Amino acid sequence: MSTIPTAGPGASPSVNKRRRKIDAFSIASFIALVVTTFLMLLPLFFMVSTSLKSKKELLTFPPTFLPESWQWSNYREIFDTLNFGQMYMNSLIIGILTVVGTLFSSALAGYGFARYRGKGSNLWFMLMLSTMMLPYPAIMIPQFILFSKLNWIDTFLPLIVPAFFGSAYNIFLLRQFFSTLPDELFDAGRIDGCSEFRMWRQIALPLSGPALATVAIFAFIYSWNDLLTPVLYLSSSDKFTLPVGMSSFTSSRFRIPPWHLLMVASVLAMLPIVTLFAIAQKRFVEGIVLTGIK
Amino acid sequence: MKTIGIKKSFTLLLATSMLVVLALSGCSGGKSAGDVVPGNDGDSANSGGQVTITHYTIDSEDRTFIEKLVPDFEAQHPNIKVKIEKAPYEQFDSKLQTLIAGGKSPDVTSHYGYGGFAEYYNKDMLLDMNDIIKEDGFKASDYNIPDDLMKIYTVKDQVYGIPVNMYVSLMLYNKDMFDAANVPYPPSDYEDKSWTFDKMVEDAKQMTHVSNDIAKTQYGVDFTWSERDMRPLYFGAEPYSQDTWTNGGVPSETHFDSPEVIAAYNKLFNLILKDKVSPTTEWSKSVAGQNGDAFVTGKVGMTVSGSWSLAGSNDFPFKVGVAAVPAGGNDKVRSVLFVDPLLILKGSKHPKEAFEWIKYLVSDEIQEKSIELSGGNPPVNTKAAETYYKHFDGIDAADVKKVYEGAVEYGFESYNHLITHYSQINDMFINEMQPIDTGHSTVEEVMPTIQKKVMEIIKR
Repeated sequence: MSTIPTAGPGASPSVNKRRRKIDAFSIASFIALVVTTFLMLLPLFFMVSTSLKSKKELLTFPPTFLPESWQWSNYREIFDTLNFGQMYMNSLIIGILTVVGTLFSSALAGYGFARYRGKGSNLWFMLMLSTMMLPYPAIMIPQFILFSKLNWIDTFLPLIVPAFFGSAYNIFLLRQFFSTLPDELFDAGRIDGCSEFRMWRQIALPLSGPALATVAIFAFIYSWNDLLTPVLYLSSSDKFTLPVGMSSFTSSRFRIPPWHLLMVASVLAMLPIVTLFAIAQKRFVEGIVLTGIK
Repeated sequence: MKTIGIKKSFTLLLATSMLVVLALSGCSGGKSAGDVVPGNDGDSANSGGQVTITHYTIDSEDRTFIEKLVPDFEAQHPNIKVKIEKAPYEQFDSKLQTLIAGGKSPDVTSHYGYGGFAEYYNKDMLLDMNDIIKEDGFKASDYNIPDDLMKIYTVKDQVYGIPVNMYVSLMLYNKDMFDAANVPYPPSDYEDKSWTFDKMVEDAKQMTHVSNDIAKTQYGVDFTWSERDMRPLYFGAEPYSQDTWTNGGVPSETHFDSPEVIAAYNKLFNLILKDKVSPTTEWSKSVAGQNGDAFVTGKVGMTVSGSWSLAGSNDFPFKVGVAAVPAGGNDKVRSVLFVDPLLILKGSKHPKEAFEWIKYLVSDEIQEKSIELSGGNPPVNTKAAETYYKHFDGIDAADVKKVYEGAVEYGFESYNHLITHYSQINDMFINEMQPIDTGHSTVEEVMPTIQKKVMEIIKR
């Protein structure tokens, strides 16, 4: 039932007064919100608008707000200029497998750290966390040598396999979440003869939807936006990912970059992230709240 | 019992996850570059020792056009396979360093990233081609490569690079703006003695209209001659000691705090601060947006730029002409040359085959073909150059020819190829000079610091 207190006839003037006050305040904040939203959306708007302009119009000053002539053909052109479809697929394949790998390995490791106590388990945990301190360039070359000895250069393997070995941040995130699950659940499972793996799969995982969604989104965004690793490991054009192809747009020091096409690519590249976020938004927000508070 | 259970599951999980990964990516098992390619199963005819060489380049149309040349080359050289490896401009250097450190060194490349020839040379990355050239009987003149250009990448009589493209600096001007201000076009002839720096300032004044409305403001000239550290040379001041050019890009002295160098910088900054015929960096940035060049938007009358700008000139929203760089006080140097060589890296396993590929790329026929394929890369080949001059719609071929030949005559190879640690020097210059741009400090105040920092960087 409604929780709003129903005002008696005697109380109505004061309620009205308060309501008017709140109204003035909420109108102000509403306007402030609209303005900030507008400001936040402006770059996005320019991205879409630029993606529909012609090359000549890009150079005019002051820049036009809306395209003079709407170049819908830009959206076709991108597929002719770049191996765009292929790059999109490559990015998707790598992104999805990275998510699968990260979820699997980090959830398993996080579960281990949360539920089992052994000699030096804290030390191991600290050690694992300390890997977060290492910047990528520090391990770039040794890792490259390792993967090149495995003959993995110019394959997707160096981009996917590391995800199957967990990442400190995600393990930490999930460990914190798993620690909040009550022991009684697992004791009950044990009494019913549940194996350890099954408890992970059938008790811990289903209860961790928000945390897993958070990890999945982080992992996907990271993989989707990653530029340096694909640049290092991929050398055939048919294996390139979206960021590699897109940064090649501005690669020529000698030409005016085709910003309109770059914006088309950006609009299209944004879609999976937006979609993923829209689908997982509820759980995502929940995940941050839960992992943050508990 | 419990622990065994966990162990079992873990091993099982690890094994399955590895299997899944391997299975998923099994289709993309790669061959590593530089390895001898074994003959296909059952095909014994292929046992003649076919080798693969890699050419590492920037992933942009004006560089990757060489991919289209590969099939023809491979047909002519059945024992050599060429693989083109590429990276975006920003990541070019870091990928190259990683490839070399990881033992996957490409065979052929150029200094397409931030680093220059001298940096590669001093890091001992380059192969001395003398022996191969001797064995092969290669003569630059057979390929119509001027001897002067060969000298650029020869250190102590050892050849480290074969020139392939030559960009010069030239002046581009906005014909529409000249017409509107009723100013005659600047000459394309370098011998025209009336075309001086001061005359340029005079012309520029007539085209400059500064208004409170940013959209209505226009400037006469944007004189960004080469990188910042090289600009004093234009006025006859020498910032680096002479021995720089003979000992692999390590100057024994620099003179950035000398009165001549300071005077030279003052002359340039006066264009913005005193004469007010040139835009400030902020104005350029706000007008040009991400293109970074206000000239392209049609708000600047003249600009000094690399000849690569010609390739994009068809897209400019105004009529464009080319002119000689005006005389600035140095009788010998008025233009900057940017000569890109093809280099063989020390880590190359097949230097001879790599040299074959280089020879192919600089041959008359391919140099000519490359102009069209690349969308207007200037060849070093003097014969092919004739075709290049005619390549730009709307710009008089005779002017391009005159400007190019004059630029070579009065040209000096860009410092960025010739001085060690150049990318750091360049970054330092950009940072240190910014306060002058904005009027917060003077040239006199800044140059002693720059002088000190340059020496520190060089000694690293």
